[in-house]
Amino acid sequence: MFEEASEVLENMLKWSFPLSLVLFLVLVCPLRAEAAHEFSVYRMQQYDLQGQTYGSRNAILNTEARTVEAEVLSRRCVMMRLADFSFEKYQKALRQSAGAVVIILPQNMSTMPQDIVQQFMELEPELLATETIVPVYFALEDEELLSIYTQTQMSSSSQGSSSAAEVLLHTATANGFQMVTSGAQSKAVSDWAITSLEGRLTGAGGEDLPTIVLVAHYDSFGVAPWLSYGADSNGSGVAILLELARLFSRLYSYKRTHAGYNLLFFLSGGGKFNYQGTKRWLEDNLDHTDSSLLQDNVAFVLCLDTLGNSDNLHLHVSKPPKEGSPQHTLLKELETVAAHQHPELKFSMVHKKINLADDTLAWEHERFGIRRLPAFTLSHLESHRSPARHSIMDMRSVSSSLEGAGEATAGPHVDLTKLSRNTKVIAETLARVIYNLTEKGASGDLEIFTEQMQVQEDQLMSLVDWLTAQPRAAQLLDKDSSIVNTLEYYLNRYLKDVKRHLVRADKRDPEFVFYDQLKQTMNAYRVKPAIFDLLLAACIASYLGVLYLAVQHFGLLYGFLRRVTAPRVKQH
Amino acid sequence: MTLFHFGNCFSLAYFPYFITYKCSGLSEYNAFWRCVQAGATYLFVQLCKMLFLATFFPTWEGGAGVYDFVGEFMKATVDMADLLGLHLVMSRNAGKGEYKIMVAAMGWATAELIMSRCIPLWVGARGIEFDWKYIQMSFDSNISLVHYIAMAAVVWMFTRYDLPKSFRLPVTILLGLCVYKGFLMELFVHVFLLGSWTALLVKAVLTGAISLCSLFLFVTLVHSN
Repeated sequence: MFEEASEVLENMLKWSFPLSLVLFLVLVCPLRAEAAHEFSVYRMQQYDLQGQTYGSRNAILNTEARTVEAEVLSRRCVMMRLADFSFEKYQKALRQSAGAVVIILPQNMSTMPQDIVQQFMELEPELLATETIVPVYFALEDEELLSIYTQTQMSSSSQGSSSAAEVLLHTATANGFQMVTSGAQSKAVSDWAITSLEGRLTGAGGEDLPTIVLVAHYDSFGVAPWLSYGADSNGSGVAILLELARLFSRLYSYKRTHAGYNLLFFLSGGGKFNYQGTKRWLEDNLDHTDSSLLQDNVAFVLCLDTLGNSDNLHLHVSKPPKEGSPQHTLLKELETVAAHQHPELKFSMVHKKINLADDTLAWEHERFGIRRLPAFTLSHLESHRSPARHSIMDMRSVSSSLEGAGEATAGPHVDLTKLSRNTKVIAETLARVIYNLTEKGASGDLEIFTEQMQVQEDQLMSLVDWLTAQPRAAQLLDKDSSIVNTLEYYLNRYLKDVKRHLVRADKRDPEFVFYDQLKQTMNAYRVKPAIFDLLLAACIASYLGVLYLAVQHFGLLYGFLRRVTAPRVKQH
Repeated sequence: MTLFHFGNCFSLAYFPYFITYKCSGLSEYNAFWRCVQAGATYLFVQLCKMLFLATFFPTWEGGAGVYDFVGEFMKATVDMADLLGLHLVMSRNAGKGEYKIMVAAMGWATAELIMSRCIPLWVGARGIEFDWKYIQMSFDSNISLVHYIAMAAVVWMFTRYDLPKSFRLPVTILLGLCVYKGFLMELFVHVFLLGSWTALLVKAVLTGAISLCSLFLFVTLVHSN
């Protein structure tokens, strides 16, 4: 048979050799099989700030999955659920030089109990502080991912303690999973531009009017950039600033209410990365231009940071204001408005000196303070180290409603009634300052922003909803992003002279460096261990052996049937 | 390791054919080229069937879960062309009945194996992802070998001029079963919602029954003269 076969094949091959070569090459190339499950994973932060590196360094992954209970974790992908997450387990994985860590978060964070959310929020800065070469990913849980996790858990926990026979049986039935990410190794993004936006309302009555600057940074921060929605910090600040812009532009459009103060609104980018936007804006305005509103008469700068919740209100200062100064007037008006119009509000001033030896500045007003501009930050948080400022748990919950009867969600979130109340407080205070109402004898109860001028809650709600609909990490918002464009458009509706301001890191000594590969697709392939293939080969060999014997002795069956049918034939 | 798995499936699918070829004595009759011819006939018949189906049968536009019994029945009827093809191959080969049957069946089944199982095995079994369906596919090819041998035997018996009257009916029934076996299998799977391994088992049992019956009839026919 072989001679004929070889002859036939030889003839065929002679004239089809090029074709077969091409076919061979095509067939040999590696292929991508269909995965058991494909899902998006979001990588932990990776950035350099002022030369200091933070976060997880690596990005690519092609390892087997295990859960924390397994004994051997090195070069494996360790999967953990948020409900079972603890810092010790995480460190155990890192110590054993795991291949990667995947933390599975629930789709709907409001199902998580309060203490787990709190614990995770407190761990976030520690996760970032431990610099690691292990890639850390976050994934949102769905049914298939959950089943992959449970299967991995079962096989991981039974690994250590079973006999050889059990292990053998186990390999035939269990499913291992191989996790593979698409994408390349992470590298630094060159020439990233952080955009900031400014706009102004010019005061009435000539030159040299005092200026009030209102600032809010619009980016957000969390342990994973693609998951930082920043509802309270600082979506609330941006919403308040935009609403104030609308209200005051309305006031300024009538001659009778056109006050003698310039109002400068500034939406700064890179706020969570040590206020890069503000820093460069100040340098450009004070050092490089001849005349700017910031150089002349600045009454004060008010930074808005995290104002979406709670009944506390703190005015953070780096230097207590002197009597008779505009800053002192602001402080006094705030106290008046809070006391008379909103008695449930607990207002206080917090004094913290600027500490230049720290890695990062505490609040945004410190940037202005360094340049000798009088500044405050208004926030409901008492300390700048509060975990609510840098958490991925800071999300707009779906269930909060205007009626105020929303469920209590676990993480920091925006409470719309409190947000609109805070907006009103700030608006009333500013009005009292620019129209000099206290000196003119207006009582503390006088409310300006009512009826047609009232703070519109629907406006605030839609702003916060829009801001939290997508992640706003600074690494994700370049100058063409839709968020920046929409903010610019919004400012253009109410303010004049709206300008963009770009910050690019210095080439030789960059203040900040961002890295890419922050969102990848991970494929989970069902795999069997190597022993299984050998087992299967043995089974197939024995099956073939039996088949060979059966075919060899086919004559027996034939003879048997013949004997069975023969008597019947003979009867004819 | 996954190339190893491909090797496993490949050997599971191909070796029985090899064994059958060697042990049935076909090699002594220089039957290789004839088997290749039978395979070419298979290709031709499949092409004709596909063209016919594509031209005359509309696509099923019903819901996803509903099984189109009538439509699938009609499509299975087109498989009668397989019988014609087998008959064509066998009539062109001179020789004893067994020789003709074995040559036709081997060529037909090998062609089917190469055409319909090779590519899925190569593409699928080599990947990282493991799935039992490749092993099942290889088992299925073994079962089809037996099925085609039985089918060729029944076709041969049907065309014999000296077939006794009492055999006509069983042979016709067996012929019908062979042709509609695929349809019956799908029916079972759909109605009883069988798992993949159970379906394979049922298919093996069915094929075994058909082949035993046809072997019985064949023996009776051959040795009654």
